[in-house]
Amino acid sequence: MNIESRKRELFKEFAPRLETTSMLTKIYIGFLIVIILAGLYAFYLQMSEGQIVTGMRDNVVWGIYEVNFILLVCISYSGAFISGILHFFHTPWKTAIARIVEIITVLSLLIGPIYILLCMGRLDRLHYLFMYPRIQSPITWDIMAIITDIVACFIYLYLTFIPDFAILRDHCEERNIPKWIKKMYKTLAIGYQDTKTQRNRLHKITRTMSAMVIVLAIVAYSVLAWIFSLTLQPGWNSTIFAPYFIIGGLFSGVAFIIITMYLVRKFYKLEKYIRRMHFKVGGIILLILAMLYGYFTFTEYFSRWFSHKAIDTNLLDKLFTRYFWEFILANYVGILVPIGILFFKKFRTIKWVTIAAIIALVGVWLNRYLIVIPTLETPYVPIQDTRIDYLFYSASWVEITLSIAGIATFLLMFTLIGKIVPLVPMNYILDGRTAPDTVQNKDNKKISE
Amino acid sequence: MKSNLYNHTFFISIIAALLLCTNGTAQENDLSNFKMRFDFKTVKQADNSRLLEVTFIALNKEDRKDQPPVYKAEIQFFNIQNDEEILLGSSKTSKEGVAQLILPENQKYNIDGEGYINLRARFNSTDALSEEEEDLMVKDLHLDLNLSVIDSVKTVTLTAFTIDSLGVKTPVNDVYVTTYVKAMLSKKNIDEGIISDGEYTFAMSQSFAGNTKGDLTISSIIDDNDEYGNIIQEKTVHWGTFNKQIKTDENKLWTKAAPIWMYVVLTILLLGVYVNFIYTIVNLFKIKKEGSELEIKKEPYRNT
Amino acid sequence: MKENKAEESGTNRRKFLKLGLLSSFTAIAGSSIVTSLTAQEEEKEPAGEVIRLLTPDGKIVEVNASNINNYPEALITPEESRKGIPDRKFVMVIDLAKCKNARKCVEGCQKGHNLDYGQEFMKIKLLQDNPTSEPYWFPKNCMHCDEPPCVTVCPTGATFKREDNIVLVDNERCIGCKFCVTSCPYSARIFNWEHKAKFDDKSQPYSPETSVPGATGTVTKCDFCPDLLRQGLLPHCAQSCPEGVIYFGDKNEDLVTNGQETLSFSKLLTDRGGYRHLEHLGTKPNVYYLPPVDRLYELEDGFDVSEEVKERYKDVPYVQELKKQGKI
Repeated sequence: MNIESRKRELFKEFAPRLETTSMLTKIYIGFLIVIILAGLYAFYLQMSEGQIVTGMRDNVVWGIYEVNFILLVCISYSGAFISGILHFFHTPWKTAIARIVEIITVLSLLIGPIYILLCMGRLDRLHYLFMYPRIQSPITWDIMAIITDIVACFIYLYLTFIPDFAILRDHCEERNIPKWIKKMYKTLAIGYQDTKTQRNRLHKITRTMSAMVIVLAIVAYSVLAWIFSLTLQPGWNSTIFAPYFIIGGLFSGVAFIIITMYLVRKFYKLEKYIRRMHFKVGGIILLILAMLYGYFTFTEYFSRWFSHKAIDTNLLDKLFTRYFWEFILANYVGILVPIGILFFKKFRTIKWVTIAAIIALVGVWLNRYLIVIPTLETPYVPIQDTRIDYLFYSASWVEITLSIAGIATFLLMFTLIGKIVPLVPMNYILDGRTAPDTVQNKDNKKISE
Repeated sequence: MKSNLYNHTFFISIIAALLLCTNGTAQENDLSNFKMRFDFKTVKQADNSRLLEVTFIALNKEDRKDQPPVYKAEIQFFNIQNDEEILLGSSKTSKEGVAQLILPENQKYNIDGEGYINLRARFNSTDALSEEEEDLMVKDLHLDLNLSVIDSVKTVTLTAFTIDSLGVKTPVNDVYVTTYVKAMLSKKNIDEGIISDGEYTFAMSQSFAGNTKGDLTISSIIDDNDEYGNIIQEKTVHWGTFNKQIKTDENKLWTKAAPIWMYVVLTILLLGVYVNFIYTIVNLFKIKKEGSELEIKKEPYRNT
Repeated sequence: MKENKAEESGTNRRKFLKLGLLSSFTAIAGSSIVTSLTAQEEEKEPAGEVIRLLTPDGKIVEVNASNINNYPEALITPEESRKGIPDRKFVMVIDLAKCKNARKCVEGCQKGHNLDYGQEFMKIKLLQDNPTSEPYWFPKNCMHCDEPPCVTVCPTGATFKREDNIVLVDNERCIGCKFCVTSCPYSARIFNWEHKAKFDDKSQPYSPETSVPGATGTVTKCDFCPDLLRQGLLPHCAQSCPEGVIYFGDKNEDLVTNGQETLSFSKLLTDRGGYRHLEHLGTKPNVYYLPPVDRLYELEDGFDVSEEVKERYKDVPYVQELKKQGKI
């Protein structure tokens, strides 16, 4: 069969990256480890000294940890959402980016919750969440949603990996790959031989899981938004927060995927697979999401401004004075500039789409910052009779170090995963090449032919 | 603030010097600028027991706010008859400087010719503190509190009398009495007046909620009377107007147990998701089983 | 870190002092040690309830109240403290017409709950309802709401609503997620951001009813002093207010007292137009306010406070205006 030879070919193509590690990569990994160590030191400091080492105080009790948490978890949810959609609807161009999306999903879902843990004063009592649960608390829902989502994403990621593990297992023998990795391929491939029944079974469960992952992402997004919108606080207590978070999350998620695509394409020499077409499609999706997101943002602030309840007015005043530049960057530059770039066909190039994505991602981070912090600085009972040093929030170096360490951890883990498996799913490429029509026909029977 | 301090170095140094001085005297325990306060009083309580109480406090002559109580000083209480001291008991002062002794209702006292009980409290001198002593004369007054509804008017009747050694009751006159309704943390004044010919009556004009059973505690107090000292009498009566339904909140957002629908929805959601997870994993095992079966089949061919 | 060590040795000294006090020391040398120790302690331990006593052998000593003020029989365990005092519904009434920012309630509360300076369960705000009306001093503690948003959002049940209206925090259960802090519209809750030596003082066993000793990384707040209520005493703030601003009592009994007078709760609210702060939020608070009409004091009287405290009101527009006019 020519499938077999095709598999060998593909393996030959991707194998060198799995076999050797270049000097530059080693330096890069070392650099990441140094940052992570700095983060660990900051973490140690926060554990031993207490949260006094952060910028959080009695009014602003949640700082950039919470912002990072929202951003990362939203990226993960949108990753799940997108890969679920890619799979469920048999999108033809999913081949190149599906795995990247899935890895982003799992990694950000592992790193994101760390930030909410950093917000907690007593990590030693974490098990109380399960010992004395109160199901009225949105935090309880969030914890259940995150745990369930982690399980779902892991299972889903694994399902899409199985055929690749099988290929790797069958072809790694003649290659210079460490023995333990070979052994790992074998175990993880769970005897998948790509027979008709195995194939059908795998497709069936992957399809249900992809639907499940989409539903879970929507639920988890909403729960995250409810942590804020179910309180009475100005700027949080909003009925549209759940859909707003979904759109904002998807927006940041797509932006993040585009940036990762760009980096992977560049550093893993995958120009053959990740093509301009992907950036074009990504750019159009980002454009649609940017318009939706802008619409939601406008509605949110417009209704607050128009009805001008006293407490909302206080908040808006604060946003337009103390947080003026942040507000402009987040809600004007962060939305309008990406729209401006992506609106024109000639700007939908790899470079410009990536630039738009970077602006969008920074904008969303700032938007989350403006949701969390100014509200906490604008309580119903005005902040008076409070220590001067407790008035305003600014992130301390501990918080900043830990935030950067989070990014470094993400990059390191992404790099390490890239050393174990190919970043482009080989089985999808095979599916696409061997029976292009069957994939589009959504007909599982034909695939096995 | 800081600049102010530096401008007044002179005064600051004087204040500092003064502070050091007081520290110095404190170390020598100079008590010469302290005046001792030794107060003795007696209260006949609602259960007819008698409380003897001494308040023992040092007063700083220069700093009026500085009033350290004398702690753990032993106070002896006596009943005196014809200059003879009969020890009733002793007690040590608390951190507030208060020593108390409660004598039961059936305690026998020696009474002088005019019907007074003579009481004495004494603190025996130590190396540092001199002896303190105070005497008190009090007649044993019996105060009765009667609560009745007369013509649908809630009426409080107080009778007060003394009993001599022969058991003859003598009504008392000109005794000022205040009546209160007791609350958990305080008491509310409802009437005050003078007992004459051993009796005092008044009608309650206000209504009170009372406790959750509708019970009201009425307390009549004779405060610091020259002849009779302090007397408290209390009675509880079902005069309260409390009629609210006491209900406990259940299955609310802020109670321990959540609203029922939340449990239902959450269970359905979680079950749905986790059943699917299990289904997926079961299928994975099936794939694995098939894989290992294939492996066994293949083995012989490979070997040959 | 250095500070911690110093405070730790402070606790040791206190323990030594306690020993010394109990085993009635004899020699003059002993007494001089004690006095010198107490003098040092004054410097190291400004917080905490220290009381001055005269012993029968003529020594004036300053000891930490917790060393001689143990009420083991009055201790309520965290489990018991969830039930509340039976048949009571506690309410507080704050008479804004009498408040002049004397801050005795703040200090009394800090002393009673062993809080540091700058850590307040009770705060005094300077509120102005509209630009024409004059501002007024507004003491604000926890409202002990009947529909407490903080309790709703607690994931572990560390904070709870009792049947006697009191909302308490069990700092042995609290995981420090701070969700309750963000959900409280009255900003009633504060957080223990760092470890303090006083948290290690186990001479008094912990009870949610006293909120003492505190615990690092947990939330704490006004508790309506149920330990005092059980002894028939008013909460620390009501006890220490010289003006009798704060009334406290049982809503079932319909009587409230400020320690000086006892009034009918319902009549007081009717006669004086009592209201609850932010009623429209639907939290149903149990702290009522009497409007600042026929005031006893000028607003400016409230600025007879330390410079540091004055600074805390600098952002209030009215204060800026007063400063411009040179009135304060």
